[in-house]
Amino acid sequence: MDTTGPVERVLRGIAISLVILFFMFPIFWILLMSFQTNETILRVPPSMVFEPTLQNYRALITGRLETQTSTLEIRFMSNLYNSFFLSATSVAVGLLLGVPAAYAFARLKFRGSEDIAFTLLSFRFAPPLLVLLPLTIYFQQLGLSNTYGGLIWVYQLIVLPLILWIVRGYFEDIPADVEYAYRIAGHDFWATFWKVSLPLAMPGIAAAGLLAFIFAWNNFIFALVLASADKQPVTVGALAFVTASGIQYGQIAAGIVLSITPTFLLAILAQRYLVEGLSLGAVKG
Amino acid sequence: MTVQLSLQGLNKYYGPVLRGVHAVKDLDMEIRQGDIVALLGSSGCGKTSTLRMVAGFEEVSQGKIILAGREIQALPPVRRNVAMAFEGYSLYPTVTVRENIAFALKAQRESDADVRAKVQDVAEMLEIAGILDRYPSSISGGQQQRASLARALVRKADLYLLDEPMGQLEPQLRTLLRGRIKFYIKERGLTAILVTHDQAEANAMADQIAVMEAGVLQQFASPEQIKTAPANLFTGTFVGEPPMNTFAAKAVTEGDALVLRLEDNVVLRYPATDFAPEVRAAILSRGDVMLGLRPYSVRMSRTGGSPAQVLANQWLGDQTHIAASFAGGTLVLVEHDRADVQVGQSIGIALPADALHIFDPETGRAISHGTEMA
Amino acid sequence: MSLSLENIVKRYKSETVLDGVSLDVARGETLVLFGPSGAGKTVLLRLIAGVIDPDEGRIAIGGQDMTGVEPEDRGLGMAFQNFALFPHMDARKNIAAPLTARRMDKASMAETVSRVARMLKIEHVLHHKPKELSNGQKQRTSLARALAAAPDVLLLDDPLRNVDAKLRFEMRLELPRLLKSQGATVIYVTQDYKEAMALGDTIAVLDAGQIHQIGTPEDIYLRPATVEIARLFGDPVINLLDVTPQMVDGRVQAMLSGVAVPLGAAFEQAVGRDCTLGIRAEALKFVPADTAGAIPVTIETEAPLNEKTITLALTRNGREVMISRPATQEAPSMGVAHVLPDPSSLHLFERATGRRIVGAAKATVPQGALQ
Repeated sequence: MDTTGPVERVLRGIAISLVILFFMFPIFWILLMSFQTNETILRVPPSMVFEPTLQNYRALITGRLETQTSTLEIRFMSNLYNSFFLSATSVAVGLLLGVPAAYAFARLKFRGSEDIAFTLLSFRFAPPLLVLLPLTIYFQQLGLSNTYGGLIWVYQLIVLPLILWIVRGYFEDIPADVEYAYRIAGHDFWATFWKVSLPLAMPGIAAAGLLAFIFAWNNFIFALVLASADKQPVTVGALAFVTASGIQYGQIAAGIVLSITPTFLLAILAQRYLVEGLSLGAVKG
Repeated sequence: MTVQLSLQGLNKYYGPVLRGVHAVKDLDMEIRQGDIVALLGSSGCGKTSTLRMVAGFEEVSQGKIILAGREIQALPPVRRNVAMAFEGYSLYPTVTVRENIAFALKAQRESDADVRAKVQDVAEMLEIAGILDRYPSSISGGQQQRASLARALVRKADLYLLDEPMGQLEPQLRTLLRGRIKFYIKERGLTAILVTHDQAEANAMADQIAVMEAGVLQQFASPEQIKTAPANLFTGTFVGEPPMNTFAAKAVTEGDALVLRLEDNVVLRYPATDFAPEVRAAILSRGDVMLGLRPYSVRMSRTGGSPAQVLANQWLGDQTHIAASFAGGTLVLVEHDRADVQVGQSIGIALPADALHIFDPETGRAISHGTEMA
Repeated sequence: MSLSLENIVKRYKSETVLDGVSLDVARGETLVLFGPSGAGKTVLLRLIAGVIDPDEGRIAIGGQDMTGVEPEDRGLGMAFQNFALFPHMDARKNIAAPLTARRMDKASMAETVSRVARMLKIEHVLHHKPKELSNGQKQRTSLARALAAAPDVLLLDDPLRNVDAKLRFEMRLELPRLLKSQGATVIYVTQDYKEAMALGDTIAVLDAGQIHQIGTPEDIYLRPATVEIARLFGDPVINLLDVTPQMVDGRVQAMLSGVAVPLGAAFEQAVGRDCTLGIRAEALKFVPADTAGAIPVTIETEAPLNEKTITLALTRNGREVMISRPATQEAPSMGVAHVLPDPSSLHLFERATGRRIVGAAKATVPQGALQ
C-alpha cells in the first residue's frame, strides 16, 4: 500500500514540479524583470533571453531615476527604512500589549472576556476605508497625522487582533496543571508567567509576530492616507514609479524584489519555529 | 474440532519493505471453530494490525487468511462475513441504538419479530435494554461501546472480532460482562478473536491466548498453559498479576543435590532426584540461568526457608500482596488470607521445586517448569 | 503538618461539585481520597493546593487558615495525574523547581536533586527533556519534583493512572515506604480500590461531591456504609441480591434460590424490610449438595484469573452470582453446583436508601497466615 513503484515516484515528482512552477512563476518572472530594462521587458513576444543589467537596482539605491525625458528623485531607500521601522515597531508594541492580553483572555475567564476578545477580532472584519475618513480628521486634530507614532498606533488595528488570537490559542494549549505545578513548587504568578507560560508559548508568539510583521509590511491604505512622502513605506512609495513618462516596470520589479526579501527571509527563518511549535504539541499528553 | 480461521505466514509492513515498520512477522495461527482467542500484548505489539488485516481494514503485505475454508485476504471487508466490535465509537449517529444493533439483521432479511427478540436479548445481556430507543449522541461512552458490541454479536458471521470491547466500562461492570459475553459466545458456538491489553480479560474469556510482542507471536496456548508453562521469559513476566519474580542464578551440583546460587548468598538446594534427569542436565549445562517465580506459588514459612525481609504488606480484601527484599532484589508473593507480618520483619521463603521456572538468560527460552522439561 | 477541611463547598455555575466536605488528616498520615471519576476528588485537591478557591468553608494546614494564601506560600508538594512536567526543562531542572523557589544554593540543590533522583531510580535520565522520558520515568520525575523540597504536605493526584499495569503494581508496593520515609502528611487521590487499600492509613470515599465513608481499609471493605461503596471495593464486584428477611422460629433468615439462609440475630431489625443482601464473591464457597443451607446454582462460565478463579452462576430464580476461589482449589466448572455463604460476612443494606443496616460483619479472613 505504501510501497511505491519507480513509475509512480517519477509521476509524483513531475506533478509536484508543475505545482511549484505554477505558484512560483510570478515571483520568478519578477526576479527576471528586475534585471531588465523597460525595453526588453515590453518586448513582444516576451523572451527569457536578455542581457542582465543592474541599472534598476542602482537607480533605487542611489535614489536617482533616469527616464528618457528627465531625472527623477525617488525615496525608495527611505521608504524601505520606513517600512522596516513601522512594521518592526508596530509588532513590538503589538507584542508588548497583545501577549499579556492574550494570556488574560486564555486563563482568566472574566465576565465579558469572550465579547471583548471578539470585538478586538472584529476590527479585522471592518474594511479599513470605513474608518479612514473619521480617523484622518481625528489625527489632524490631534496632530498625529504624518507621525510615526500615529501610524504605529493605527497599525495596531492590524497587528493586535492577529497577535491576540494566535497567541491566546497557544496559551490555552499549555495545560493549566503545568502552570499550577510551578506555582505549587513555590514560584509566584509573575515568575510562572516568565519561566513557564512565555517560553512554552514562544513558538506561537514568534509565528504571530511574523504574521503581524508581514501584514504590517504589506499595508497600503493607512499609510497612503495618513502619511506624507517622508513617512511612507515601500508599498505607497512604489506609486512613484508610475511616472508621467510611463510606468517603470524594471524599477517596480526591483523594488518588489527588495521589499519582499526581508519578509521572505523572516518566513524562512521562522519556519523552523513554526515546525517546532507543532512538535511541541507532543508534550501536552 | 475443525479449523475456522487459519493465518498462514502473515506479514504486515508499514512503509517500504525492510526500511519501514515490520508490524507483524510471519504469523501462523489456527483458530478452532467455537474457540475464543485473545490477542494479548502491549500497544504496538502487532495485535491490532493483525485484527485489522483479518477484518479487511488493513491490506495484507504477505501471507494468507483462510476463514471457514475461503481464502479471504484479497476480499473487501463486506464480503468476508466477519462481525466486528470497535474500540472507539462507530455507531451510525442518525438512527437509534436499536436500529444500529438491528442493522445487520435486517440486511440478513430476518423477520421483524425475530429481529426484535434478538436485539432485546443481546441488549439485556449487555445492560443496555433501557437505552435502545435513544440516539448514540445522547448515551455515555460506555453505553456506546456496548451498543457497538451488541451490533457485532447479534448478527450471523463466520468470525467475531472484538477490539478492546470493554475498555470504556467501569471495572464493576466489566467483570460481570466478561462472564456473560463468554457464555453468550459459547452457548452459540461462535468463533471469536478478542484483542486486549488487559490480561485479566484475556484470562477470563479466552480458550487460547496469543501473546504478541514486537510483531512476533510469543506463545499461543491456553491460559492455564501460559500460567504454568510460559514459553519464554517475555510471556512469563508479561502474563501474570502480580508479575513473575525473576532472579539470576547459577546452577551447580553438590553431592546429590541440585543447587541454585542466587545473589546475596542465597542458596536453594533440592534433591537432584526431584528433577527428571534430562531437566537436570539441561539446567546444569546452561549453568547461568534466570529463575522465574510466580508470586502465588511462593510461600512464607515459619520453619527455615531462605531469609527475606518484608518491605510491604498490602491487604486488598480477598488477598494480600507481600513484597520482601530477597537475593539482591524484590520478591513479591500473594497470600489468600491476611498475613500478620510487619514491614521490616525477617521471614523465611519456601520455594518448592515445582514452583521454579528456569529460563535461558540469553535467548529467554524456557528450560524447565517445576521439575518437568519445558 | 496536619490538614483540616471544614465544610468545603465548590460550585461551577449551577453545578455543585463539592457539597460540604469536611476532613481531618493527622500529621504524617496518608489519607486516600477514593471515588469514581467525576466525584470531585481532583477539585478538592486543587482547593487544598490553592490554585482554585472554595465558595464556602475553610482549609487549614498545620492549624493555619489558608484562606487567601497563594499556592506558592502553602509549602506543598504535588504530583499530577498527567505528570505536568515542564516540557522545556530537563528532568533535573524539573526536579529542582521547588528548590530554586526556596533560593537554595547551587551545591546543596545539586545534592538534593541527586538524592531524590537516586531514591526514585532516575539518576540516569536527569539530562533528558520530558518528551524523551518513558511514561514510567515521567511519573517518577513528577514524584521526585513533588518530594524535592521535603514538603510537610504532599498531594498526589492519581499519580499511577497513566503508567502501565506492571509499573503501577511495582509503585504500589514501593510508595508506602517512600511516603513514610518522608514523614509528610499525604493526600492520595485514586479510583483504583486496590491502590486505596494498599496505600491508605485512612480512606475517604467521595462520591457526587460528598464524603460517604471515612475509615481504615478494613472498615471500608468489611463494613461498607452503602451498597455503592460495597460495589466499588472488591473484584469481582460484590453479589447483590434483593431479599426481605423473615423471622422464622426465632431466627432471622432470608430466602435465596429457594433456600433459607440464616442471617444471625444482629439482623433482627431488618426483619420485614426490603433489603439488598451483599455477599462478596470470595465469601461464597462450593460445598457438597447435602450440606445444610447450601444454595443450588447453575454454572454458566468460569474465568480463571491468575491467583483466583471466578465462576459466573445463576440461582434458581435466575439471579447472577459470582463465586471466587483460589486458583489451586478444585471446584465444579459446569452444571449444577452448591454454594454456601460465609455467615460472618453477609452485608445487609436497606434497599430504598442503600444504607448499611447495622449488623455484625467480622473479618472475612482469619488472621495469621504463616504456615
